[in-house]
Amino acid sequence: MPETKQSRILKGKELITIGIFSAIYFAINFLFMLLGAFHPIMWIFMPAFIALFTGIPFMIMTAKVQKPFAVAIMGAITALIYFATGQFTMVILITFVTSCTLAEICRRATKYNSFWGNTLAFAFFSLGMTGSPLPVWLFRDDFFAQIRDQGIPADYLVSIESLASTEMLFAMLAAPFLLAIIGSFIAKALTKKHFKKAGIV
Amino acid sequence: MSVKDIKKTNLPIDPRSAILLLFIANVVGFMQDSLLVEFATFTALTILLVYCGCVRQGLKWGLIFGLVLALQYHIFLIVPPFVAASFTVLFVYIRKMLPCLMIGTIIVRKIHMRYLLLALRKWRVPQKLIIPLSVTLRYFPAIKEEIMHIRDAMKLRRINGIERFECLVVPLIVSAAGTAEELAAAAVTRGIDNPVKKTSAVDIRFSPIDYISLAAGVLLVGAAFCL
Amino acid sequence: MIKIHNVSFGYTQEEQILKNIDLHINKGECVLLCGKSGCGKTTVTKLINGLIPHFTDNCRLEGTVTVEGKNVAETQIYELAEKIGSVFQNPKSQFFNLDSDTEIVFGLENAGASPDFIDERLRVTTKTLNIEKLRRRSIFSMSAGEKQSLAFASVYAMNPHAYVLDEPTANLDEGAIEVLRAQIGKIKEEGKAVLIAEHRIYFLMDLIDRAVFMEKEEIVRIFTREAFLALSEDERIKMGLRTLGKKSVCSFPHIPGHSAEALTVKNLCCKIKENIIFEKLSFSVKSREILGITGSNGAGKTTLLRCIAGLIKQSEGELLLDGRPLKKKERSRLCYLIMQDVNHQLFSDSLWNECELSRTEAEEAKIEEVLRQFDLSELKHSHPMALSGGQKQRLAIAAGVLEDKKIVLFDEPTSGLDYEHMLAVSATIKGLAQKGHIVIIVTHDTEFLRCTCNRTIVL
Repeated sequence: MPETKQSRILKGKELITIGIFSAIYFAINFLFMLLGAFHPIMWIFMPAFIALFTGIPFMIMTAKVQKPFAVAIMGAITALIYFATGQFTMVILITFVTSCTLAEICRRATKYNSFWGNTLAFAFFSLGMTGSPLPVWLFRDDFFAQIRDQGIPADYLVSIESLASTEMLFAMLAAPFLLAIIGSFIAKALTKKHFKKAGIV
Repeated sequence: MSVKDIKKTNLPIDPRSAILLLFIANVVGFMQDSLLVEFATFTALTILLVYCGCVRQGLKWGLIFGLVLALQYHIFLIVPPFVAASFTVLFVYIRKMLPCLMIGTIIVRKIHMRYLLLALRKWRVPQKLIIPLSVTLRYFPAIKEEIMHIRDAMKLRRINGIERFECLVVPLIVSAAGTAEELAAAAVTRGIDNPVKKTSAVDIRFSPIDYISLAAGVLLVGAAFCL
Repeated sequence: MIKIHNVSFGYTQEEQILKNIDLHINKGECVLLCGKSGCGKTTVTKLINGLIPHFTDNCRLEGTVTVEGKNVAETQIYELAEKIGSVFQNPKSQFFNLDSDTEIVFGLENAGASPDFIDERLRVTTKTLNIEKLRRRSIFSMSAGEKQSLAFASVYAMNPHAYVLDEPTANLDEGAIEVLRAQIGKIKEEGKAVLIAEHRIYFLMDLIDRAVFMEKEEIVRIFTREAFLALSEDERIKMGLRTLGKKSVCSFPHIPGHSAEALTVKNLCCKIKENIIFEKLSFSVKSREILGITGSNGAGKTTLLRCIAGLIKQSEGELLLDGRPLKKKERSRLCYLIMQDVNHQLFSDSLWNECELSRTEAEEAKIEEVLRQFDLSELKHSHPMALSGGQKQRLAIAAGVLEDKKIVLFDEPTSGLDYEHMLAVSATIKGLAQKGHIVIIVTHDTEFLRCTCNRTIVL
């Protein structure tokens, strides 16, 4: 089929497909968000857990909608819902814009239908959620001012500071990227085992 | 973002000002460094919540705010430092997020989805985003329903362990793909792809409360930067 | 109004779904499309509303379809939307918005109608279709019947010149079908052209002007209303059609064998979040017996099945098997539920694995035998989701049989089935009863009830 300009534009059917799979993506995302409230460590690695389990809706959506902006819309929906319910800060809007742009570039460069292109796009996309724990670093001084006020002994202070250390920041950013790749392989395995035979992709 | 039956058509507050207030709350929450501004913001928002009819929610947030303050300034001084430390991160964050959460409460409880989407449309957010967003919001309750059915089926088949993950995901995705197909057919045969500018049967308008709350918001931003 | 001229169609270049279809529908005419499942009825409706060819890539379409002189293939689907209203089978997946008012005006907003005009149409629609009780409602508080009524209203609001309905009653009870019948009557009076593809046809007999009978990709015969009504029972059954009258003569009574073993329900009461779904319900079913349970949409039929199956707890009363009270856990071990949407209960990547799934020690001979019994052995390496609806349902039953479930429950097993498939399900169920199972069926398909169940209770 010739690549006309028309066929590059998202139509109603594709927009609806994006909407449905974004709902599944968000539902899984939200589940881990709730778990993140239990302990700071859970929260910091929440984006990584999300990446591991959301590979399926993301990869199926990208397989079904091989056009520009599909991923950007999925990211915009997630960020908007979190933002409008007052659960996240503007930081997450910024991380989502960045991660979705990178993901879109990835897909464009690989013509939207390559497994590795979509996997990489998913890895970048998964970084969007790091906007949630990122304020720990951005408002680091606030946290420690607070902790010091409470007269916590110095040796404990160190252990907490390690939580907001530069190494931890690196781990927080690298983990979702790596787990996203694993998540994407889980999606690939299930696609081969089920979804292809069921005629979904 | 209420999905309940619409009982009243009048909105307590314009969804556009609610969204603007969210931006303001973000700025205030993270910029301010004074207890005075924090209390002023909290009081202003409590008044707004009560005005919008969320009295119980207003009380709830008040309790949470009080509890967090009490824990941070009194109880954490006597419990083992390790316990205090691991919760400190969370509590500092809650205090910063509180204004956003309070406005979020109004949006979730008092503003019907329909008006929120209309606000986005008025701001000329592209249809290409509004359409999938409304599908997402509409599909959430369906996901819950689907998962309930699938879990029922698993119970009767005694499926356990790691298999449960696969058994949950496969029917869920299969059904999602089917719904996408059917929903798309229903939507395109009702002209969703029509390129003309969409109209709306209902309208939203700013009222005094919108101007008052936005002005208060701007004042608080000013205070957050100065104090 | 609608002209289909010598159309042949396939979803791929090689496939043949329709062959040489010729059909004209005039203004004010109501035409029924009938025939067995897979004869191409739904495909014909798609030719008219433009889903073919606009919604199907790489299909093969020969011949022309015109609506009011416009060629469907060359007209944008949103332009067709203003001329043709479409109502589909599944009430769950037709609505786009979360509340009824927005849903009704959805099409008009898409077309860019003025707010005053939209208001006017909303008022007229509410009045004409008598749907005041559907206004300002959340979609999620609606029954299947109400949703279908809303789908119809949202199409009516756009004031199209023609309507195509694709199996609109598949998930409806008799009350809701009656509402739909009245609505179709209204649009016919207004001089609209109506085309309905349906299996359950009894309710349409006063409305139709012609009936088009299709078989294997082709239109075999076009009846006038009189000729169609004059069909003898034998002819109707030979054509594979559901009953034309409300009272079906179809009866292959199932004679229950003698057995003392029985499931007894005593004073059962179920609540969901403080809402009483049903209360003080008592009945009993012997093994080898088939009990039918009917009642309107939303009467709590599905809740009753879930309670019997041990998926929810009763708030009062008890369930006994041979006089021994059963706990929730025991019930879920004894019972098996065939769900309305069997897609929810098929998990594996092949039929064989589906059968093996929850049996710890796989007895191959037994699986082989059960698959043969349900006419599935040739498909044992296929993926369950690649099967037809009927095959999926049989596979779900087979999986339950392999787990030695004593009690088998069915939730709407015949929604959207044609006559032949309905009889096939009936035969399968009777087979289960003869093997000593206790069978309970929830359904609003009265024709199916009459030819399957020994007894019926109304909830």
